[in-house]
Amino acid sequence: MTNLLEIEDLSVGFRTPRGNLQAVRNATLTLAPGESIGIVGESGSGKTVLSRAVMGLLPSTATRTGSIVYQGREISDLPRDEVRDLWGTGMAMIFQDPMTALNPTRRIGSQLSESLVVRLKMDKGAARQKSVELLRRVRIPDPEGMLRKFPYQLSGGMRQRIMIAIAVSCGPELLFADEPTTALDVTVQAQVLELLDELRAENNTAMVLVTHDLGVVAGHTDKIAVMYAGDVVEYAPTKRLYASMKMPYTEALLNSIPRLETPTGSRLPVIEGRLPDPTKEVAGCAFADRCPYVSEKCRAEKPPLMDAGDGHLYRCWFPIGGVN
Amino acid sequence: MAGSGKAHLRPTDDRVLVVEDLTVEFRISRDKIVKAVSGVSLDLVRGETLAIVGESGCGKSTLGKAVLQIPKPTSGSVNFLGKELTELKGDTLRDMRPAMQMIFQDPISSLDPRLTVSETLAEPLRVWNKGTETEIQAKIDDLLVNVNLDPSVVRDRRSYEFSGGQCQRISIARALALEPTMIICDEPVSALDVSVQAQILNLLQDMKDRYGLTLIFISHDLAVVKAVSTRVMVMYLGKVCEVADPDSVYQRTRHHYTKALVGSVPIPDPTRKPTGNLIQGEPPSPMNPPSGCRFRTRCAAASEQCAAEEPQLREVAPGHFVACHHPIEV
Amino acid sequence: MSETISTADSADTGPLAPAAKRKRPVGFYLAGSWLGSIVLLGLFGALLPLRQWDLASYDYLGALPGTPGHPLGTTQDGYDMLSGLINGARISIFVSFFAVLFGGGIGALIGITSAYFRGKYDLIVVSIFNIMLSIPNLVLSLALLSTLAYSSPDKPATLQRRLIILILSLTIVIIPILGRIARASALQWSSRDFVVASKSMGTRNFTIIRRHILPNVAPAILAIGFLAIGSVIIVEGSLSILGIGVPGGASWGSMLANGRGNIAFSPHEVYMPAICIALTVISSNWFGDYVRSRLDLREAKI
Repeated sequence: MTNLLEIEDLSVGFRTPRGNLQAVRNATLTLAPGESIGIVGESGSGKTVLSRAVMGLLPSTATRTGSIVYQGREISDLPRDEVRDLWGTGMAMIFQDPMTALNPTRRIGSQLSESLVVRLKMDKGAARQKSVELLRRVRIPDPEGMLRKFPYQLSGGMRQRIMIAIAVSCGPELLFADEPTTALDVTVQAQVLELLDELRAENNTAMVLVTHDLGVVAGHTDKIAVMYAGDVVEYAPTKRLYASMKMPYTEALLNSIPRLETPTGSRLPVIEGRLPDPTKEVAGCAFADRCPYVSEKCRAEKPPLMDAGDGHLYRCWFPIGGVN
Repeated sequence: MAGSGKAHLRPTDDRVLVVEDLTVEFRISRDKIVKAVSGVSLDLVRGETLAIVGESGCGKSTLGKAVLQIPKPTSGSVNFLGKELTELKGDTLRDMRPAMQMIFQDPISSLDPRLTVSETLAEPLRVWNKGTETEIQAKIDDLLVNVNLDPSVVRDRRSYEFSGGQCQRISIARALALEPTMIICDEPVSALDVSVQAQILNLLQDMKDRYGLTLIFISHDLAVVKAVSTRVMVMYLGKVCEVADPDSVYQRTRHHYTKALVGSVPIPDPTRKPTGNLIQGEPPSPMNPPSGCRFRTRCAAASEQCAAEEPQLREVAPGHFVACHHPIEV
Repeated sequence: MSETISTADSADTGPLAPAAKRKRPVGFYLAGSWLGSIVLLGLFGALLPLRQWDLASYDYLGALPGTPGHPLGTTQDGYDMLSGLINGARISIFVSFFAVLFGGGIGALIGITSAYFRGKYDLIVVSIFNIMLSIPNLVLSLALLSTLAYSSPDKPATLQRRLIILILSLTIVIIPILGRIARASALQWSSRDFVVASKSMGTRNFTIIRRHILPNVAPAILAIGFLAIGSVIIVEGSLSILGIGVPGGASWGSMLANGRGNIAFSPHEVYMPAICIALTVISSNWFGDYVRSRLDLREAKI
């Protein structure tokens, strides 16, 4: 089966007054049609930059090398307006903050039908009918009434549903969701994630889910790329990752999630320290200073991406459970 | 659910805070009144951490601010350290302020972007004339060290130079400056990365032990409050649903709404599917809440009784209170 | 959100942080140097070895620019254009600066307090602002001037009195304009958590306003203040043309008014002050815009 998206050796840097800031280093990822991948990391890990690079949304100060192949077509060198043509019908995006992504002065109905009219060349009546249908599919009560509302009249969860309705309106094959539930309550988060799963299953849509929370991606992705300081440090099918993680960083990230099982009054495990300065090249492993299992070799030499079999890649000299 | 009642209050002498029948209303236009908090009672024993949990719009943040009299509640009583705050005005109320502090959700909005860290921390100390300038500066260094920030590095920086977690540490230091009795933490970690959340939660625990604090911890996420709280109060649409110790709330959940909250917590394990007990939709408008039990419109167990009659909080197990006509059997 | 918050070490070089420091646009230097020279000439122009502006020279009536001794020519009545314009700069800048300073100060005070305390006080302030704003600037200042600067035919008001009354009425025009800006901005800042935190620490209201609200609102007022200087110069000019501004060709506007009748014989009498007015207005607008964009950038970074 051919892949929908192939990212190979992608590096993204920014020119800053303090020198080159390497946000993403040699990332290689693939995504099959209908598959869903989680990109997980802390703030500053490069996860957002990676997804923006694929969508052609990098600022002009960015430098990029490597290739991005979408449906067999190299898109990293395409001019911006040609990448833009892929949006809607090819790729679509859901943002963290739906309030800033929706136009506050236009009614939901007109924002929803816009891409239908422009991309799918529908006439107004058909677009309206399709809009109602879309709103019903994202489980909005009283879809007809919703068409006449403005974004400010809606709660955060409702707005995110509208964003999702707009994103899936033209039947995209690839959906980018950048922290789609971070601003929402847990109850609404669960609803939104379930809704995304359903919609994807109906249309065989692939998804890139960017988040800082390993809890969120667990039940909703097929594979996961964990990023740290610009590197993909672990890359594996979701079930395999949780069953036998190799990277101490992934383990630490997982342990820091607050759980219902945590005994009351206990201290939560934390990752001490912080990310290294992204404008400085680190000689060894970037996680060395925060790693509980660190040794001499980690500081001296950067570990390469190693293969544990079954498509499980990791970047560590002393992986949990040993080398294979 | 979502009922009134005072069955859960504990008449001991050791209570720092007793809130009874607290109601907060906002008038948003001539004939529209939002009842953000409707007749909530709670008490806080010295040294405990009370978690208030619920979805946005349930009134939990408004409740926290009303305890501090910002703004004053519409009705009800707030007794803090033996003083009835709702009756105090001007300087007598002001004299109570150092003993009760607050930490906010948004780390950016919590700090004045024009002030340096040392200016931010000096403010409460100067307002209350806590010592000479040298003493104040020494105290600031002390506070920063306590929240694990290096004074020599951070003193003269402004808030936008810091990460969210670091801003939250500064806010905690500011709240501690006056050595309060009680701190109200309003979603202190929900804007932070998971990896930073744990650091801040641990820090709050440490500070609680070191300063002998009593905490109110407001959150929408049951998992976050699990480790830090000693008592949990679940709120829905301005009313109390369930009150118990954290283990009972999670393991012997009695309220249908609490059950839904428990089911919504993401499980970091792909082999375990979510409990499938999700509630759909969103809470109704607090402008005209449903009659009887306010949760009945989203509740699977709702009956006619729920529409007619508001459930009162009652004790279903020692220390476990629930306001529901048809509590879940355990 | 999460990507914009990074660790302290990388805060100023966060992944999506703007790169190199922005260059100042050329317009900034042009506008700045024009405004700077106008202010300098207004302050020290009287020290220059020029003719007195109100001393007519009957040898040169309506001389063209370039005439020896009168580099910018004279009016039909024999007044020197250059010294007239320099004196005009003094009056025009003086009037508009103080009108904006007083109007901005009072407006900011009212706007900030009404946003901070809300309630009935706010309601009254907003209604008064709205009523005042619904009357066109020119009409309002015209009405104020004609009531305040009443002078009987046999006892004409002195220039000084006219100036004070002019500044006073322009101040009243400015108050609601800047007051509303200050109120809008203060409304935003008052709802920030650090204000609530400050209240909960027991800080007094006026201390909060002085320490937290005012410093954050000030940039917005400053930026709009520059724009206001431009419009006040125009209003002052229009009033002079209508004959109730500064009398006797003392300000740019009144030079314009005096020269109006002579436009056929000595057009420079009209276009010289007109150019001065136009350049000053454009420059102050530009400057105000620049100040605002700089502050917006700062705000965006926060």
